[in-house]
Amino acid sequence: MNTSLATRLSRLAQYGFLGLLFGFIATPMLVIVVFSFDANRFPTIPWGGFSLEWHRAILDDAMIRDAFLNSVLVGLGTAMLSTLLGFAAAYIDFRYRFRLKLPFVLLVAVPPAVPATILGMAMLAFLSRIGLFGRLETVMACHVAIATSFAMAIIRLRLNDLSRDLEPAAWNLGASPAAALIHVVLPFCKPALVASFFLSAAVSFDEFLIAWFVGGVHETLPVRILNLLQGQVNPKINAIGTVVLVISVALVLIAQRFTGVRAGRRPKPEGE
Amino acid sequence: MAGSPRVLPAVLGIPVVLWQAVFFAAPLIFLVVVTFWQVKSFRLEPAFVLDNWTRILFSTTFQRALVHTFTVAGTTTVLAVAIAFPAAYTIAFRLSTRARDLAVAFLVVPVFSSYMLRIYAWQIVLSPEGITNALLGSIGIGPLPLLGGAFSLQVGLLTLTLPIAVLTLVFAMAGIDRTLIEAAENLGCRRARVIAHVIIPSLRPAIALTATTSFLLAFGDYISPLFMTGSKPPTLSILIVDTVKSGSQWPRASVIGVSMLVMLALVLGLGQFLSRGRAARKEATR
Repeated sequence: MNTSLATRLSRLAQYGFLGLLFGFIATPMLVIVVFSFDANRFPTIPWGGFSLEWHRAILDDAMIRDAFLNSVLVGLGTAMLSTLLGFAAAYIDFRYRFRLKLPFVLLVAVPPAVPATILGMAMLAFLSRIGLFGRLETVMACHVAIATSFAMAIIRLRLNDLSRDLEPAAWNLGASPAAALIHVVLPFCKPALVASFFLSAAVSFDEFLIAWFVGGVHETLPVRILNLLQGQVNPKINAIGTVVLVISVALVLIAQRFTGVRAGRRPKPEGE
Repeated sequence: MAGSPRVLPAVLGIPVVLWQAVFFAAPLIFLVVVTFWQVKSFRLEPAFVLDNWTRILFSTTFQRALVHTFTVAGTTTVLAVAIAFPAAYTIAFRLSTRARDLAVAFLVVPVFSSYMLRIYAWQIVLSPEGITNALLGSIGIGPLPLLGGAFSLQVGLLTLTLPIAVLTLVFAMAGIDRTLIEAAENLGCRRARVIAHVIIPSLRPAIALTATTSFLLAFGDYISPLFMTGSKPPTLSILIVDTVKSGSQWPRASVIGVSMLVMLALVLGLGQFLSRGRAARKEATR
């Protein structure tokens, strides 16, 4: 290997650049956490000293508590339903060939690509006409429509690693397709199911525009934060922010732990 | 397999199709329908008028917002690809497997967490009395108007796009056939030539994907324009929300929404065309 000064400088520049980028990505998250423990009302430097005042204040805020509870309910419901629907969609894509397969896959895959402003407005316009506006269940149903896309992607990736002969073997041994699905495919997909459960929960827990449009008076936590942000400077925001950040980071990390997708180990391309 | 080979796919598929139809497809179709409806005394009424379309498409507010949104999203796209490429290169080719996994884990987290909060944090960092200006002030500079312009808007939009952009490119680079690179090096290629003649050509689809994803996210974003520039000048997303909120002008807001979707579809199509065009050419020379 050439270890000339130029090469070393170039390496140094590359690592430095990467460091700057990671700093850029990490800065906002660190700022929220650090200033949630700041005694000052307005977050700036110098730091006003360590305080748990704002964390305590959010515990006493009934609206925030309600919003948190709503978010948890919506998140759990979204996680369960998205994982179920995502599994069904991924399995259909994996196992069957049919004429309308592309539209079917697109119907599930595309929703996250539509800007949430437009989707939220469309959902509000349509769902209010069929009498579903302003319910927590509706927020969840809309989140499911988005999160199922991610669930399908994760589970489909896992199914790539399932030997195509395993199910036919079970069928030959007398298992019905449904029994093979439950006893062979489902256990095989377990890590992916766990991953999509947590990722769907994270997607729902983080979503605010659709929840804002279709939720009506039922605010989820991000909607509460959005409403707080549009008001005056409120030191509570950093404290809620820390809580939300910790929860969503935890959800994503758990999901990642179970996907097993690594940059170095690409999932095998599908054997057609 | 005797009995009912069609029951299982139906049991699995119908709920999925129904769910996505009611909560995704139908709202979007209805959005198109509403563009032809009328608002009479604050109530939405079925009709078939083109008035909403002509009013919006010919209004200078819409046209200005359109140009502004395209400019902003285009800038973000260029910046995102330009910043993400060298970073992804370092992650994919310079880091150890373990460090690479950590970097990927670190980048996945922000994709799914608290975008709105992170933008709020940038407000704290960039505002006139904020962290950056406090730091600058202590060495006698400033206060600089960091918040409320093109700069802060791009900071916000890059916060949204960069993690995904870097991830897309890292995964694509990890999939490059290493023997190609080694072959080029054995033949005496310098690193810069390897990048220009081996890595970038085989990454063309991934670069197109990164660019279209960044564009899509920046084009439709609502939070960065709202909090980083105070909605001035408005982007199309801001215009949608304002149009809905002020006087329930649903049909006109829908026109903006549908126009945005059409434009995004065109951009996605262009991205597909650019990446596929090269693949087809490669196929021809093979």
